[in-house]
This record gives sequence, structure tokens and C-alpha cells, in this order.
Amino acid sequence: MKYMIMMFGGLGASLEGRPPEWVMGMNELMVTMDAELREAGEIIASQKLMDPSRATTVRFENGSPTPTDGPFAEIKESLAGYWIVEATEERALEIASRVVAYTEYPMEVRRIMEE
Amino acid sequence: MTGDRAVEDLLRELAPRVLGTLARRHGQFDACEDAVQEALLAAARQWPAEGIPEQPRAWLLTVATRALVDHWRADSARRQREIAVATDPALRAHSRAEADDTLTLLFLCCHPALSAPSQLALTLRAIGGLTTAEIAAAFLVPEGTMAKRITRAKRQIQDAGARFTMPSAAEHGERLSVVLHVLYLMFNEGYTATSGPGLHRADLTAEAIRLVRLLHRLLPGESEVVGLLALMLLTDARRAARTDADGGLVPLDEQDRSRWDAAAIRDGIALLTGTLGSGPIGPYQLQAAIAAVHDEAPTAERTDWPQILALYDVLAEIAPGPLVTLSRAVAVAIVHGPRAGLAVVGTLDADERMAHSHRLEAVRGHLLERAGEPAAARAAYLKAARMTASEPEQRYLTLRAVGLPRA
Repeated sequence: MKYMIMMFGGLGASLEGRPPEWVMGMNELMVTMDAELREAGEIIASQKLMDPSRATTVRFENGSPTPTDGPFAEIKESLAGYWIVEATEERALEIASRVVAYTEYPMEVRRIMEE
Repeated sequence: MTGDRAVEDLLRELAPRVLGTLARRHGQFDACEDAVQEALLAAARQWPAEGIPEQPRAWLLTVATRALVDHWRADSARRQREIAVATDPALRAHSRAEADDTLTLLFLCCHPALSAPSQLALTLRAIGGLTTAEIAAAFLVPEGTMAKRITRAKRQIQDAGARFTMPSAAEHGERLSVVLHVLYLMFNEGYTATSGPGLHRADLTAEAIRLVRLLHRLLPGESEVVGLLALMLLTDARRAARTDADGGLVPLDEQDRSRWDAAAIRDGIALLTGTLGSGPIGPYQLQAAIAAVHDEAPTAERTDWPQILALYDVLAEIAPGPLVTLSRAVAVAIVHGPRAGLAVVGTLDADERMAHSHRLEAVRGHLLERAGEPAAARAAYLKAARMTASEPEQRYLTLRAVGLPRA
């Protein structure tokens, strides 16, 4: 089964007020986990997104698609990055929990539909 | 058995020469390029096991010609006449200097009708002899995407009516500067990977250096070609010191200079010394001269900044641009103090070209930090971190921001 593990927050504005040791620790954790999951062959894809403040949202307004600067959701709740893993649901939740234990930012785990 | 590495090196050296000869004879760059790729793949399969043929170039040319003929046969019978020409041994002896062919090929791949990514991809395949899969890996895109990009590039060249001939003397200078720019982009793409987790993609920088060396052999009298080669060597010399063990970015003034490549620095400086004053001074020579001043300094503190500032003054004169202004601002700040540097940075605020670059804010952050304005520096660093698409740069900028004392 494939799961998408999505991370929210952890970029730009949400890092304000964190001490440098904490930011470094988070980077280390992400790098270590990424390497471990790759090593184990569990990762299918992993991507980090640019800061949501640089996003553009295209909405249907006044009869035509109109791009406006800014993310769809609030910046604090915006998607920061994701892993796609081949794992059981239990294992996917375990991976997410390990990150949340450190960052305290929420993560969402969703199963990917079979083709 | 022949080493795979030796075969690979030989194939990549021969690729542009074989393609050049074929394209000159038959004109159809698109079909010729496909045929040479087929020949290269066949050689990569056969040579390591069976040994390199006595005349490897002739072998490749024969296989590529056969592939081209097969393609035409499949294409349509109206190509009969061309097939006759292609296979007529009497016509094969005809040959001009191969070097000219490689050069013509390089000008064709860097055709102004193409976008920069297409020019890069086509140059890597046609001149560099890289496979589509290798190029796709270097640019972190799926192979299918890269294959389409290359096919489209070849069609665009055809649509633009480009022929396999050297640009006219009148066009030469302008076209050469496009070629140099493409090779410079290739180098930078490898050196400061614009996206992805790693800061370097050494294969692209190595390929760019190899191609500029080749260009230098073909056009030994062009001082800007020498300048670009020197610039690449002097910049690449610092590669090992540019990242720490965790892949983080190490700024120039904090790098361990004992890890710089002394041989590359010597080569770069020798090239530069040999060319300065031999022709018109251009932006690549100036940038190489600036890199040389940095490379020659035993410590960051002992860098000859007044000389660097003088070189930037000349560069701003002959090749003005926002990135030159920004680099000059750093030199001004060191020679005349951070506030003077910030004033130069401020002249870029209204510049549209910098609106989407994180560099302006990153430099502003540094100068504000040096000026003793931690709160403003912090805001500038965080803004820069939000604007970059490079993970190591984002990490570096964020750490710099959160490391500043609270106001």
C-alpha cells in the first residue's frame, strides 16, 4: 500500500521564534529519516515545496481563471512537503509520529488510491 | 577487456566529430543526431566486451551512416537519391577539418531560436555525447520529458531555417557570446544546483569545463573563451570547501582554504595571465580576475578587497547588470563600510529583475548584520529563505536568521 505523508508548517514564518539549535535539529532529523527510508527502500518519492508566501492561487473569478499572489490556505496551515512511502498504515503512522514528536507540527497520512 | 571508463571517454570525444561529419555531408541535423546516438549506444554495448576497433571514428561513422540510411528507408522512398550519395565511397574521402565541424555543431546547438534549457540539453547530447537518460538525471527531470525537450529543440532549429554552416563573420561575435553563455549556464547549473537537496552536480560542471577546453582548442585566439575557462577553473577549485559534512553551504570567508584545489588555481591563473592584455577585456576575464584575487588570498582577512572593488567598477562599466551591482555592493561594504554597501543595495529595490531573486535580501541581511542591525537583518534573511528554491541555501539563511540576537 502507498501512503502520502504530508507535513504542514516548518517553513519560513513558522520558524520564527525557534532557537537555532532547534532548527538545526529539525534539519538533521529530516535528513536522517530521509536517508533511512531511502536505505530501506520505503520511499517512492519525497519533495519539499517552496515557501507558501511565494505561491499563486488560480481562482475562477468574474467568469475566468484569475491568478492571485498567495497560497490557497493560511500560510501556517500550508503544505510544506511530502513523502510517498510503500508501507502498511501502521508503519506510515509510525514515520509521521517520529517527525511530529520533534516538530510538534501536524502531519497528515493518506492512502493513495490504486490504479 | 577494455575499461568502461576508457570507452566512455573515447566515445564522448568522438561524438561531436562524427556528428559534425555526418551533418555536413547530409545536412539533416535532426536525423543525423539520432543516427549518431544509435551508433554511440551500439559502441557502448560492444566495445567494452569486444575491444575498441582499430579505427573507432570510422566505425562510428559507418554505423551512424547505416542508421541514417535505415531511417530514410523507413521514412520514405523519395530519399533514394540521398541514400545513393550517402553510400557512394567516392564521396566519402571528401573531408574538411573536423575541428570546424565541431565548432559549427556547437554554434548550431546554441542557436538563438532555442530557449536556454533546450540549448543546454542539445549541447550536452550532440557535443558532450551524453545519453538522454544521463542529461535527464543531471537536470532532475524524467527521461521522457528530456527526450521531448531534445526533439522539440531539433525541430525548432529546423523551423528556424538553420543550416549546417558557420555563422557569418558579422554574426560570429554575437553567436560566440551565446555559446559562452550556454556553457556558463551549464557550469552554474552544476555548481549551484538551482533545486534539489544537493548543492553540486559535479558531472555538469566537469562537462562544462571539458567543453570550454574544447572550444579553447578550436578558437585559441578568443580571449573571452580563455576568460571563461579560467573563471570556471578558479571557481570550481573551491568546490570541496563549499559544503560542510552535512551538505550545508559554507560562505567564502568561512571556507577551509587548505581544501581548495591548488592545481586548478594555478592553471586558472596561468590562463588568465597569458590572455590579459592580448585582446579586448570582457566580462568573463574580469570575473576570472576577481575569482583569482579571492583564490590567491591566504586568509579571508588578507583578501585584496580594494583590487576586487576596482575590478567590479570596470565590470559594472562594460557589462552592467543587477547581479554585478549586488556583488559590487559587497565589495563596497568591505572597503567603505556596511552602510555604503547598503546604499548600493538600495539602488536595486526598484529593479524588476531582482523582484524574484533571494540574493538581494540575502546580501542585505549580511550587510545589516555587519551594520549592527539584528532585527532588520533577521527580517531580510527570513525573506530570502522564503524566496530561494535551493534547500541548502534555505537552511543556511534560516539558521543565519534564527541565530541573530533578539531585539
